[in-house]
Amino acid sequence: MRALIAAAAGLAVAFALVLTITTLGTSDGGTSPKPLLTTVPAHP
Amino acid sequence: MRRKASLILLALAVFLTALAPLLRWYAFPRLAKIPANQYQDMVLEAKGATLLDYGTMKARKVSKVTIVQTLKGDVAAARRIERTAGRDVVVWDGLSYVQGPDGKMVSEIPERYIFDAHSQEPVHATGEMVDGDPVSRTGIEFKWPFLTEKRDYEYFDAQTRTTNPIHYKGTRTFRGVKVYYFEQTIPWTKVAFPKKMPVQGITAESVAKTGTTRWYTTVRKFWVEPVTGAPVYGEEIHKEELRGGTLLGGRAKVTAFAGDVKMREDYVRHTVALVKHNRTLVLLMTSYLPWGSLVLGVLVLGLSLWLEARARRPADPGPARAEEPEPVSA
Repeated sequence: MRALIAAAAGLAVAFALVLTITTLGTSDGGTSPKPLLTTVPAHP
Repeated sequence: MRRKASLILLALAVFLTALAPLLRWYAFPRLAKIPANQYQDMVLEAKGATLLDYGTMKARKVSKVTIVQTLKGDVAAARRIERTAGRDVVVWDGLSYVQGPDGKMVSEIPERYIFDAHSQEPVHATGEMVDGDPVSRTGIEFKWPFLTEKRDYEYFDAQTRTTNPIHYKGTRTFRGVKVYYFEQTIPWTKVAFPKKMPVQGITAESVAKTGTTRWYTTVRKFWVEPVTGAPVYGEEIHKEELRGGTLLGGRAKVTAFAGDVKMREDYVRHTVALVKHNRTLVLLMTSYLPWGSLVLGVLVLGLSLWLEARARRPADPGPARAEEPEPVSA
């Protein structure tokens, strides 16, 4: 019984971690202030 | 004590083992996406190209034609479209600015490309356009989906505003990176004049009135890194002609542009380095972390079972007591 509880706890933590990571996701920030270029840049 | 440790290890083993498929098939498809605020520029060059001189209406060889391509993510527009589309969206405002050897503008074509941030599938919303003309794209443009497959894709051509297959032509190695090579041929097709012409006073409408038409053909080549779906190199054998009408002074056709357009060397190096870095990040989610977690989970499970087995083993009998010698009576 205790083994079952331990396994369930491990599973629950895995789900919680992955769900939290995916919910938080990645921040997109704001639109870049740089313009669409009409001159040839010297370097990337 | 041993039983407690084995239970903790069992929980850890289940955690690690469950993490492997969850990362690969739940987290990765949701986390792998093009950021809405992406900004990137690219310089391509056509050395020894043929270019039309609009002053004399004659084609001439020039040392170099440069194409500056910029893509800029509009975050506010993406958020607005996401509310109705119900999925993560990227809105790219692009500009292809073509410059002649004298530094003067040859053409500039803006476009707005709206697509799903995860799958790169086009999303249709107001504002989607090429050179001011509303379009409804199908297929991909600029980038392939994550985990690109060895198959043909549908690729949108901004000049003709049509979608055609781009064929998978094999796996190659480009500067140490495994890539899939794709090729698309657009046959001679009548296309619209750019809205912004290189000579002041000449507009697309005024040229159209002369009866002269613009035709275009290209062979588009992409070397795509399959994990990220990002092209590390691109080339185009691009030709444009003006045909018929009064503008050509009796000639049937004149070359407007012909050249082999290639990415500038510093941009190739930069792109390869960037793609190598992003490839590691994607592999972390699809391979390194899931496999590492699974292997570690199995090892920890083995350790847990071993500890459990030792805890259940019956206690060793103590050292045999030495029998005291019985007194011997005479």
